[in-house]
Amino acid sequence: MNATLLKKEIKSNWILLVIFLGVLSMYSVMITMMFDPKLGDSLKMMADSMPQMFAAFGMADVGTSLLEFVTGYLYGILLVAFPGVYIIILANRLVAKYVDNGSMAYLLAVPEKRRKIVLTQGIFMLLTLLVMVVYCTVLILTVGELLFPGEMDIKGFLRVNVGLMGLLVFFGGACFCASCFCNESKNSSAISTGVVVYSVLVQMISQVGEKFENVKYATPLTLFNVDGLSAGDAEAWATCAVLYVGGLVLMGIGIIRFSKKDLPL
Amino acid sequence: MSVIEISHITKDYGKGRGVFDVSFNVKQGEVLGFLGPNGAGKTTTIRQLMGFIKPDSGKLSIQGMDCFKEADQIQKSLGYLPGEIAFIDSMNGMEFIKFVAKMKKMKDLGRAQELMQMFELNASGKLKKMSKGMKQKIGIVCAFMDSGSEILILDEPTSGLDPLMQNRFVELVLSEKKKGKTILMSSHMFEEVERTCDRAAIIREGRLVAVEEMEKLKESRQKIIVVSFKDASMAEAFAAEFPKAGYQAGSKMVTAKVGRNLDSFIKKAGEYTIADLDVRTQSLEEFFMHFYGEGADK
Repeated sequence: MNATLLKKEIKSNWILLVIFLGVLSMYSVMITMMFDPKLGDSLKMMADSMPQMFAAFGMADVGTSLLEFVTGYLYGILLVAFPGVYIIILANRLVAKYVDNGSMAYLLAVPEKRRKIVLTQGIFMLLTLLVMVVYCTVLILTVGELLFPGEMDIKGFLRVNVGLMGLLVFFGGACFCASCFCNESKNSSAISTGVVVYSVLVQMISQVGEKFENVKYATPLTLFNVDGLSAGDAEAWATCAVLYVGGLVLMGIGIIRFSKKDLPL
Repeated sequence: MSVIEISHITKDYGKGRGVFDVSFNVKQGEVLGFLGPNGAGKTTTIRQLMGFIKPDSGKLSIQGMDCFKEADQIQKSLGYLPGEIAFIDSMNGMEFIKFVAKMKKMKDLGRAQELMQMFELNASGKLKKMSKGMKQKIGIVCAFMDSGSEILILDEPTSGLDPLMQNRFVELVLSEKKKGKTILMSSHMFEEVERTCDRAAIIREGRLVAVEEMEKLKESRQKIIVVSFKDASMAEAFAAEFPKAGYQAGSKMVTAKVGRNLDSFIKKAGEYTIADLDVRTQSLEEFFMHFYGEGADK
């Protein structure tokens, strides 16, 4: 890893990260605050009024505990889609954009292997994803404990977040791989957007009705089994591991490809 | 001993674009000019030297190391100026220079400061807002600032510079040459190569046409002399003595390409009354036509 480059990327991208953390904070705090163990559930009433819409967003059958409530409303779509957009933007910035505008020449005209330069970019991405997940975890736990002391199943919640990290690693790996393969920024963005939007859309369709239930096998989001992780199922851990391994393998493929390809610099 | 060795490289981009079976060497301590018109394959060759692209066939090495596989080792003693300079736009000039210095693992910026003074460069502005000339100066500073760089690869180094700065650049190259550096410098302008280089490699449509000593090229380079005589009859009489000279009936002017026969040309002209004399050197294109005959233009 190249420390100079890592510092440069932190300096260039911290604002992007802060913006997304801001958006995630808003939703996380809002949803957590809406949990009300005693009075009836206003969101539940809304869900009953338009069941299909809520189902598409993975918000059907949200349970009554704080863990079920938070994971049901946040981990179905919000904490997946927003980080997804962040990943699309960042992955493109880290590799393809440098190649597209030509400044990659300056990153490579240095006494370092190409592999090491691009690996640094990959590590930077994983680090910011970790920051994102840890931040949301701590934030939701804190707000939960302040408003509803003792209500949260902390261990279960941490397990779900380990799973969320896996999902983001997978998306990150896929988008980073696309960025490494493409010489043009627009192609890299298009592929990344395609991967994320496809995955989310297919999941939404699969949740709407039984007719489409089987299409859930066509999206990586199914591997992120929120309920399974909450309960600590072995199968959920296994699919979660698949996400981590898949993401890292894709990232590795991208790095190898980048190290070997011709660059139009 | 050759520092840069290029042997039989081919990189075919289709439609006649690319480089085909190009071979030449740059010796230790030599400044080699890499001449050719736009699109001839100069940058394609340089990209291969930098390890950005691999040749389809053939080999390139710098200090005995493979240009693609051992690019990181080569970069330890190499300064590079890209042909199309692209910086990281969000930085200002000084930040960028410092960033490149750190990436190159340089210890001090003393040389960079000297170079900035030499080129009268104030690098504090945003790179995005800089003019072409300013960017070129920053590129030059980045290429030359590491005194550990024994080899310099410069792609069209003076593009965008005004004549004063072009002169400064020539001085810089000459002083680096005195320090024993090996320099490969591409250009489409004969003049800057003429003033700095020991030899020139000439490339055309992706094929190397010649590698010549600079002295020899200078010798065979013709001057175009336009002589205006006092009246048309003198011009006609003079033109009759040089059948190859260009002359239009009734005009007072005779235009001639003059090489080795300069002396006899001037002496003959001296027999008449001359109103004006204009001398210009051939452009690179005209020079090609002369050096390789009409056939070179296919």
